[in-house]
Amino acid sequence: MIEINNLVKQYGDKRALKGISFTVNDDEVLGFLGPNGAGKTTTMNIITGFLSSTSGSVKVNGHDILEEPELAKKDIGYLPEQPPLYFDMTVKEYLDFICDLKKVSKENRKKQLDSIYSMVKIADVKDRLIGNLSKGYKQRVGIAQALVGNPSILILDEPTVGLDPNQVLEMRKLVKTLSKTHSVIISSHILSEIQAIADRVVIINNGKIAAIDTITDLSRRLSGSSKLLLSFQGPLKDVSSNIRAIPGVANVATRNSNDRLHEIEITISNTSPDIRASIFFVMSKGGWPIFEFRSLDPSLEEVFLNITAGK
Amino acid sequence: MYAIFKRDFLQYFRSPVGYVAIAIFSFLAGFIFYSQYASGAVSISSEVISLRSFFVIIVPIITMSSFAEDKKRGTEVLYYTTPVDLFSVVAGKFLAALALFAVMFINVFVQMIVTVSNGGKVGYGEWGSVIVFFFMAAMFISVGLLASSLNDNQIISAIVAFVCILLFQLLSTISSYAKSAVNAVVFIITQDVEASAKAGDGIANVINWLDPFARTSDFRTGVFSVSALVFCLSIAVIFLYITYRVLEKKRWSQS
Repeated sequence: MIEINNLVKQYGDKRALKGISFTVNDDEVLGFLGPNGAGKTTTMNIITGFLSSTSGSVKVNGHDILEEPELAKKDIGYLPEQPPLYFDMTVKEYLDFICDLKKVSKENRKKQLDSIYSMVKIADVKDRLIGNLSKGYKQRVGIAQALVGNPSILILDEPTVGLDPNQVLEMRKLVKTLSKTHSVIISSHILSEIQAIADRVVIINNGKIAAIDTITDLSRRLSGSSKLLLSFQGPLKDVSSNIRAIPGVANVATRNSNDRLHEIEITISNTSPDIRASIFFVMSKGGWPIFEFRSLDPSLEEVFLNITAGK
Repeated sequence: MYAIFKRDFLQYFRSPVGYVAIAIFSFLAGFIFYSQYASGAVSISSEVISLRSFFVIIVPIITMSSFAEDKKRGTEVLYYTTPVDLFSVVAGKFLAALALFAVMFINVFVQMIVTVSNGGKVGYGEWGSVIVFFFMAAMFISVGLLASSLNDNQIISAIVAFVCILLFQLLSTISSYAKSAVNAVVFIITQDVEASAKAGDGIANVINWLDPFARTSDFRTGVFSVSALVFCLSIAVIFLYITYRVLEKKRWSQS
């Protein structure tokens, strides 16, 4: 568990962080979102002890990062945006060096490295020079490095940057697997990624926290009420009035209409239970075929844009 | 500390740096020894004394990448985010560079064996000059490490180290220039020969006090002075400490 309390970071005249506080619970994936320059990397650097904050505190499993740095750092595995790799070492030499740095005992070392090799799937390249590996493999070696020493918390700064779509998917899968046994803080400006992995999101903008919530609550909070999109064939007027008659429907608006297909937007009032079944039965009773029926909750993209635009 | 030492020492042999440094040193040591041997008057101590003038080339080659490379590659994160303390990082890198000097020095030890087996003599003067060599190497390595910690460009680091070590080497020349300059200026002002000579000597003494080469020149004759060794060691410790502070400061100032 990490407790971050009122972090402030001042660079000369510029105040990069203006009082950031949040908590990361055990075995949780926390997405850390924000536009470039918002302070994501600075925050992560302070949590890991790479930078010192101007004021405020970071406690890792109860240990303050400045007062008990050794104990706090033992619990953290960090993958910075640029993985800290030595290109002229082989993967095995490099991870051995990391084991030395993190003071992994000789007896545990082989067992631990073997499990890391298989977890991040780098066993087949362990005798190759890191400089000769592909970007995806380098990133995995970076994660392997963070995993050495069995930290309970992983901090990953934009781990999918520069990877091809396949590698991105694999990286996501890997983070998902890791999240079963670790708390993970993952930063990204790719929102779909956070949406796919994270339990909770912290949105940071301009050095301040703009929102902290679960992804679904965040969407709901911002939209006020949820909306459904329905596209169908049939008489537009009849359908609209029939649906409007269902209790809980606040409004029905036409979005798109041509002689073949109509598209309507159904606004549901905040308090009503799930009315999707009722809508389906209305449509089926009328014999009006449904072509598409989905929730119109704003995506994280929209939420993000709304929040960072100062809403 | 051992982790850093091991990695940095082996790193010299993963890159061309170690080989280049060893090659230069071997060539110089071999050349000097060969010319002495050919002339029939081998003196290991004067060879080692001559080799000291090449610190200015060898030390920057060895130390230029120590911190600059880490900073450039982003690997310095490891020193700050793993449970090692920064002073042991500095110490590990320092010892790695010193160990590389020990490897280079195998040349001289072989030459000692050759000398002895040919009826030559290896006595206190020789060992004295070897000891001084390592103390001075330690001192200049610490200067090079500081230069390397100040920026992320290896070439700049090498140049800064080169200039600093060169200044140390030129101290005796600088002091004699300073002596005559001060002498002349004071004479013009006071028109007093004695006072101006005194002022000139004073400034020369101050500069000479800093000159490690002058301080240790007696060692070749077998006269050991602890104060000269303490001087080299103190300078080394001071520079290593400043290097440590530079690294520590980065945590507060970098963006």
